Amino acid sequence: MPDTLLETEDLAAGYNGVPAIRGLSLSVGPGEVVALLGPNGAGKTTSLLAMVGLVPLLGGEVRVLGAPLGRRKPHQIARSGVLLVPDDRGIFYGLTVREHLRLAGRKADPEREAQVLDRFPVLRNLDSRRAGLMSGGEQQMLAIAKALLARPKVLIIDEMSLGLAPKIVQEMLPAIRDLAKEDGIGLVLVEQHIELALSIADRGVILNHGRVVLTGAAGDLLRDRHLVEAAYFGADQFADTEGTLAG
Amino acid sequence: MGTILQFVVLGLGLGAIYIGLGTGLLLVHRATGIINFAQGAMAMWGAFVFAQLRLDGTLVFPIGSIELERRPPVAVAALIGLATAFLLGLLVHYVIFRPVRHAPVLAQVVVSVAVMITLQALVVLRFGPNNIDVDSLIPEDSFTLLGADIPTRELVMAAIMVLLAAAVWAYLRFTRAGVATRAASENERAAVLMGFSPDRLAAVAQVVAIMLGTVAVMLGSSLTGLNADNYTLLVVPALAVLLVARMESIAIVVVAALLMGAFQSLINLLITKPFWPQWAQSGLDQVVPFAVVMVILFVQGKRLPSRGSLQTVRLPDVSIPKFKPIPAVIMLVVGVAALSFTQGTWRFGVTTSIIVMLLALSYVVLTGYLGQISLAQGAFAGAAGFCLSKVTTNWGIPFPISLILCALVATGLGMLVALPAFRIRGAQLAIVTIAAALAIERFVFNNYTLSPPEGNPIADATLFGLNLGVREGRDLARISFSVMVLVIAAILVWMFIRVASGDTGRAFLAVRANERAAASSGIDVRKTKLIGFAISAFIAGIAGCLIGFSRGQLSAESFSVFAGLQVLAVAYLGGITSVGGAIVAGVLGPLGIVYTLLRGVFDLGEYYALISGLGLIITALLNPVGIAGATREQVAWVKRKLSRSGPPPSTVPEAPAPKEPSRV
Repeated sequence: MPDTLLETEDLAAGYNGVPAIRGLSLSVGPGEVVALLGPNGAGKTTSLLAMVGLVPLLGGEVRVLGAPLGRRKPHQIARSGVLLVPDDRGIFYGLTVREHLRLAGRKADPEREAQVLDRFPVLRNLDSRRAGLMSGGEQQMLAIAKALLARPKVLIIDEMSLGLAPKIVQEMLPAIRDLAKEDGIGLVLVEQHIELALSIADRGVILNHGRVVLTGAAGDLLRDRHLVEAAYFGADQFADTEGTLAG
Repeated sequence: MGTILQFVVLGLGLGAIYIGLGTGLLLVHRATGIINFAQGAMAMWGAFVFAQLRLDGTLVFPIGSIELERRPPVAVAALIGLATAFLLGLLVHYVIFRPVRHAPVLAQVVVSVAVMITLQALVVLRFGPNNIDVDSLIPEDSFTLLGADIPTRELVMAAIMVLLAAAVWAYLRFTRAGVATRAASENERAAVLMGFSPDRLAAVAQVVAIMLGTVAVMLGSSLTGLNADNYTLLVVPALAVLLVARMESIAIVVVAALLMGAFQSLINLLITKPFWPQWAQSGLDQVVPFAVVMVILFVQGKRLPSRGSLQTVRLPDVSIPKFKPIPAVIMLVVGVAALSFTQGTWRFGVTTSIIVMLLALSYVVLTGYLGQISLAQGAFAGAAGFCLSKVTTNWGIPFPISLILCALVATGLGMLVALPAFRIRGAQLAIVTIAAALAIERFVFNNYTLSPPEGNPIADATLFGLNLGVREGRDLARISFSVMVLVIAAILVWMFIRVASGDTGRAFLAVRANERAAASSGIDVRKTKLIGFAISAFIAGIAGCLIGFSRGQLSAESFSVFAGLQVLAVAYLGGITSVGGAIVAGVLGPLGIVYTLLRGVFDLGEYYALISGLGLIITALLNPVGIAGATREQVAWVKRKLSRSGPPPSTVPEAPAPKEPSRV
């Protein structure tokens, strides 16, 4: 198995030619969990979207399994095994759970399905329920279950905690980490909940104003909280008030 | 009882066609978010190819044709027709619809209308304007039930189309691609993130839709014969059916389509009854779809679902007009010069251009400023024109009063059509307005009781003893008439600029940008829409009256739905957000300067509709802001370049233009 599954090098990306992130370099290996943190507007979501081709690159490179993404279209990137669970959860309110699972796997794979559903047993009882009628937690489980069903090499989850009760997040995040470790999936998490994210991650990368301001082993970052806080608000006199509030 | 049953069954034939078109519309809307006004026109092409093959063995292409040695058998001809439909579907998807998938709704409506105009014009050019009689694909037979002759052909047609619609339903329900199409219609980005290509799904949907429609038209063409205008406009009742089904349910499309067909057939039975008033006979079957749409919209009361999309592009920019005396005088001088130095057909062309400019201006008010898509401007103009005929010849009301009175009639009609706009917007409003336009055309303009077939004469205008009539002896366009048109146009443009640059204009733009935001900043959205429709219809009404004066008499063809759509085409082509765009539209418009040029110099008059349709498609694809908008941008660019190369500017850097929130 290769050392790195997903790698970005000196990545710049943004909207209408204006970069929202610059010089982003990070890598994720098999079974590794990387937490991407930062205040609002730091460029976290833009980074993720750039990795899956939904935001055009303005510079640098994204490599999957050593091969550059080049001009591949977003759906081709998804097929090559890099899956993003977006912050709107990426589910379809009009479709049933069964239909979601059907869409996720290219071929019917009952074994894999059973394996995934063992992790989220709630979904077994909701087979014919429309996603729009499910609770936020159930929707999030469905979003992650359908991503896992596609046998991803890299799983990227944007703000899983958004709109979820803290208790559910505390239960789900470790479960997802365990799964990633088991299957050798590289996991990239964007989180507002710094402590929880760092507690399950191997490494943390902190973005502010579109640049990496701090990076290190998750344990170290947890210990040196003042460094993290400085990266969030201090050390930068231009830090906006929004960023301060987000901390 | 027996007769009623017979007519109901006869109506199922029409219902079968609606199933084909309605299911296709639903599928395309699901897969692309586009409401394809060209569905009928697209479905018709393959059927025409089939019919011509059966008629004389000629295989007709858009350009050129092949004479086969003998007529191919029915099955072969049908397969060739379907194959053409397949290719047309792919072509339209990849070349036309795919590029505008994320464009504003207005651009999508305009593009599909352009495809409709183009195909309709192409069919008339390639297959002729007359009805083509077609052999029935289904053996004609009948049986007796309740003492009535029940035709089997209509029953079989309906059965075939129900089965095909069921197949489409099963595709969306049970196949992975079908489920993905539904998924993508809800959240396109999420579907992409699961590895689906919405473009490919859309191509499949487009092709399936056109084939389905083609089968329906092929089957149905033996009922009444193939006719380019009729089949192009069959999309209107199909759109009504689509709205009834809330753009979601194929089952409801099928049921509503059959009911609609049966109901229209029953109405045709009803109007033959002696008790039915004669004035209400014509076109009543077209009033039904419109009435159905209106009732549904008001009963349902909630907004119809719209489709989630990957991204949206904002509408063409609006620049607030300012009244500048010097350019205004220059324009007037140019206008007077153009009228003085021309004569005969040429002066008539220039005059018509000025009138079409007004009609385009009515789109600028309503669509460009207020963001409401109306396909009924031609009907507003027509209402005023026909009213003018009555007012001047029957009642002898003198000139300026008659003009204003009739424009006010159009205004009232416009405010009536504004009512559905309180509830709906975007492409759905376009559906309502095209249904209204068709209903007005068939029920009023084509109604011999209201507008006699021998024509509706309009008395020449006179003012203070000055003859403002258009013709005198061999002079086709008298200068005094043309100058009157120019003066009226100038007054209206000046009034438009006053309104657009004032509070009302800002309110229009706010409503266009975001209705909720406009309401929350104190703008009465309904009142604003009502004012917009009123102003727009008033301008269209004046234009309609001037068209009436310029012709001396009116027929229904003067204000057909297609004529209205052609003006929309040139209005968008010119640039739907500015007076400049309206002027360009006038120059390009039907019977205007460019048309006179095409006909007089190049002898290409019959290609005018085709050329304007194609021109519109190309403009909408390459240049969504229209010709005038693009010119304005280029002028601004040149100005920037010039100012940069000069001495360094002492001013602060140019502030970024405020972004217009895009409307979905």
